[in-house]
Amino acid sequence: MSVLEVKNIYKSFGKTEVLKGIDFSLEKGQVLSIIGSSGSGKTTLLRCLNSLEFADKGTITVNDTVIFDGDRKTKRSDAELRERRLHFGLVFQSFNLFPQYTVLQNITLAPNLLKKDTPENNKAKALKLLEEVGLSEKANNYPCELSGGQQQRVAIARALAMDPEILCFDEPTSALDPELTGEVLKVIRSLADGHMTMIVVTHEMSFAKDVSDTVIFMDDGVIAEQGTPDEVFGNPKTDRLKAFLASYNK
Amino acid sequence: MTFAEITLFLANGFALSLIIFAVTLICGAPLGLPIAFCSMSRFAPLKYIAKTFVWIIRGIPLMLQIFIIYYVPGLLFGRPIFSEIDRYILKYYEIPNDGSILQLLMTNMGGLIAVLIAFTINYACYFSEIYRGGIESISKGQYEAGYVLGMSKSQVFRKIVLKQVIKRIVPPMSNEIITLIKDTALANCIMIPEIIKQAKELAATKALIWPLFYTGVFYLLFVGLLTILLGQLEKKLSYFKD
Ligand SMILES: Nc1ncnc2c1ncn2[C@@H]1O[C@H](COP(=O)(O)OP(=O)(O)OP(=O)(O)O)[C@@H](O)[C@H]1O
Ligand SMILES: [Mg+2]
Repeated sequence: MSVLEVKNIYKSFGKTEVLKGIDFSLEKGQVLSIIGSSGSGKTTLLRCLNSLEFADKGTITVNDTVIFDGDRKTKRSDAELRERRLHFGLVFQSFNLFPQYTVLQNITLAPNLLKKDTPENNKAKALKLLEEVGLSEKANNYPCELSGGQQQRVAIARALAMDPEILCFDEPTSALDPELTGEVLKVIRSLADGHMTMIVVTHEMSFAKDVSDTVIFMDDGVIAEQGTPDEVFGNPKTDRLKAFLASYNK
Repeated sequence: MTFAEITLFLANGFALSLIIFAVTLICGAPLGLPIAFCSMSRFAPLKYIAKTFVWIIRGIPLMLQIFIIYYVPGLLFGRPIFSEIDRYILKYYEIPNDGSILQLLMTNMGGLIAVLIAFTINYACYFSEIYRGGIESISKGQYEAGYVLGMSKSQVFRKIVLKQVIKRIVPPMSNEIITLIKDTALANCIMIPEIIKQAKELAATKALIWPLFYTGVFYLLFVGLLTILLGQLEKKLSYFKD
């Protein structure tokens, strides 16, 4: 059974058609990587999944429950949106940690506000997550005192604290200096080993090849190719994908 | 008059300046918030009404606004309410005749209220623009990071955005607050005995000019105090950077 089923998603901004019929599904515990050139609609797709943007058409189903249906144009209440968003986590390219809170407070803020558990348990869980991302000793530091790679690891811990069913990453290493990407990718890799269901938009081809169960190549708002890493990287069928991959192997 | 007497005479006037300062700040700062929200509203009519209002209030000299508030009720409605207040107090209350702040207040209550209304509205508009600038300067990513964690709009505003906004608006607010204490001198356009009016009184009745310059010391000391306090606030918020 699929955790996530995305059907026929269309999305335009004014006259610009950004997504033109996206279909895919994701099994529990699997990692899906999305690659594609700039402007192909990868971020927009993740934003539609996380209800930061609303598709014009199509459906999104999580665990057999339709959480979004473009044909039902009823007004969405804040409460409904929040519930829908809790299925997903999102790690941003630019981290977006809350600067006025310590690392620990960044992680416990939402669980405490949403009364996920008692404050003590939320804190204990946050500390455990920090340990997992290798930042226990930074619990009481402020984001401005951390490197980019450390900030992104905190952002991952923060997303995990809400126990999302599907964790999405939007180019999690693109804002980092090359020597810092490794530590973040390592954390994502360990999540994959722990069977976290994930969607990773990335420009790190070798990482995508290693860690994914499925790879999607997006081109101009459609899924141009989809398959196992071996199929997509080893045996690209379309010229667009061949050209795209070639640009990485210069 | 001795130096001490002149100092006391001016100090009473400065107490009135401080009352205008404090009331304007206490009423104007919160009032700026709804104005800021209206001017950022997605409901276009509300937004344009708020923006036009702010444009008018910021576009007209504060002195003129004081005149308008003070004289318009009498001119348009035949009810000069502010001088009526003065007459009412004169009639029903015993006013001390010792030059104290109480006497200054009781004999000028009507005009003072007009000044407070004008100042509060004027400063609320200036503050609202500072708030708007502060709120709009917070990146979309901060809101979205809160939303994807399942937080509500009001939680995101109160728990994430607000403190960052406060940090950003402290410097421009400090500027505005320091300007405010000096603007209180405008109240003398309708004869409110704030400190400069008091000094002019000395010039007129005692032929003393130097007290007029001496008033500067009062402003300087107070602005010095404000600078220290606001600087401390700024420092208190410097534990994080954004
Ligand atoms: N809010 C918006 N309003 C208008 N156009 C938008 C908006 N968001 C995205 N777009 C447009 O949609 C297209 C796809 O953008 P998107 O950010 O999804 O691409 P991407 O695949 O994530 O690219 P990149 O690799 O550069 O991050 C772009 O042409 C972009 O200009
Ligand atoms: Mg993108």
